[in-house]
Amino acid sequence: MAFYEENPNSITGADIVVGIPSYNEVESVARTVEQIDKGLSEYFPDLKSVIINLDNHSSDGTREAFFSAPGKFPRIYLSTAPGVRGKGHNIRNFFEKAAQLSPRALAVVEADIKNISPFWIRNLVGPILKGAGYVCPLYIRHKYEATLTSLIIYPLLRSLYGRRVRQANVGDYAFSPQLLDTYLKPPVWNQGVDDFGIDIWMTNIALASRVPVVQAFMGARKVHRMMDPMAQFHVLFKEVVGAIFELMQVYHDYWVQVKWSKPTALSGTDIHETETPLPVDINISRLHERFTQGLEQYQGTLERVFGPMVITKIQEISSMDLQHFSFPAQTWATILFDAAAAFSRMSADEKSSLLDALLPLYLGRVLSFVKKTERMSVQQAEEYIENECMIFEENKPYIIKVWT
Amino acid sequence: MPKILVVDDEEHIRLLYSEELKEAGYEVITAENGYKLLERIEEEKPDLVILDIKMVDYNGLDLLQDIRNQFYDLPVILSTAYDTFKEDMKSIAADFYVVKSFDLTELKKKIAMALETRLPG
Repeated sequence: MAFYEENPNSITGADIVVGIPSYNEVESVARTVEQIDKGLSEYFPDLKSVIINLDNHSSDGTREAFFSAPGKFPRIYLSTAPGVRGKGHNIRNFFEKAAQLSPRALAVVEADIKNISPFWIRNLVGPILKGAGYVCPLYIRHKYEATLTSLIIYPLLRSLYGRRVRQANVGDYAFSPQLLDTYLKPPVWNQGVDDFGIDIWMTNIALASRVPVVQAFMGARKVHRMMDPMAQFHVLFKEVVGAIFELMQVYHDYWVQVKWSKPTALSGTDIHETETPLPVDINISRLHERFTQGLEQYQGTLERVFGPMVITKIQEISSMDLQHFSFPAQTWATILFDAAAAFSRMSADEKSSLLDALLPLYLGRVLSFVKKTERMSVQQAEEYIENECMIFEENKPYIIKVWT
Repeated sequence: MPKILVVDDEEHIRLLYSEELKEAGYEVITAENGYKLLERIEEEKPDLVILDIKMVDYNGLDLLQDIRNQFYDLPVILSTAYDTFKEDMKSIAADFYVVKSFDLTELKKKIAMALETRLPG
């Protein structure tokens, strides 16, 4: 249970429960609450709703800003103990509190989104009230935004669990009370899930639970108050990829049965005005440097994990100069499948080393993707990714073989 | 024998698909537009739908949304003369798409894949 709870309206039940995880978000939480409140008022006026701040014991006045934001729906404040950080802790508090409220729909929205608007709430919550199990947003993204999703998460989850969810690692989602029951009895919960791994954990379990998944088109980019994608990227990479690999062990009996993939339903398609993604600058020389340096640094780990065929391929790729650099999807699929299989048999320390060694290979894949798609439109780059996903799906028998 | 529903307002396409797909071992039923399409699917219970995107009075991408909302896992293959439809976000709710052609090799391959797709129940 949460270390601290404040429930000034003594709320004991609600149809819709919206959680806002936070840590020192005094500058943005009030606007987020206001927009959520407007969305609930406008689109679900006849339902009982409650907004819950899921805080990490912020010291900057987040709690006060949360309660003082304008709006009509009641609020609850939950916090972890002082010093306990991480979104996963907040989400766990959310599960436990929400279960007491017997909701019909649950949603989580990040506290620091600068451009959230009321219809985001409609798009997230609406499909759950109509019978969906999990709703994952679909934001407007540039081809080089979220390459971890495009090059690892999407192809891997799609080929494993058979459902095409394009942005599975976003921090906002909605889910049904049935799925809440599953989340309350987690098959895996580790330090990574307490932190950056929580978002992929949520989607991955939804996919393996075989609930109807809907992607909600938001028509906009998601703009965070502070955004430095490379800050803590190493930790994020390890926790997200680590969470997927851990869950592969749990859901092995499920994913071995999956063949090819299916689309999801889509909501929010009535949005007529959509934003154009902003360009993302990529420093390809720096990527190349980090790729080659990383290979040198983790040579021992790579040779322990991968067979001679993969090592030869990696050497071949590393020998290419920047101008001719290419890292084929087929090799990448083999590397990820081999890594996942090896991970399942490793100690905690070995797992950590493997994920460290995987990062430079991923940077090499990003470099190759950028070079192949630099002249493509966002739409063409999407088609390129779709074709690469098919390579993962075609190679599904390989992961089944190497896993056993 | 898997049952395929072909929805297309061009008669020659309905005839071509029917003939070739029957020869390939499928049962084929047809509809010339989207009128009462959901009721038809409910009644006939096809295993797969081939859906034209541009029909007189009907937008195949809107019909796709309706199908996906009511028949979540029913395979749908979009059939089109042009591939500009991919710019419309709604198209991602389709299992596959094919560009219309007299050579149905690609369509048959996509049908086989869609019918082979397996997710544990």
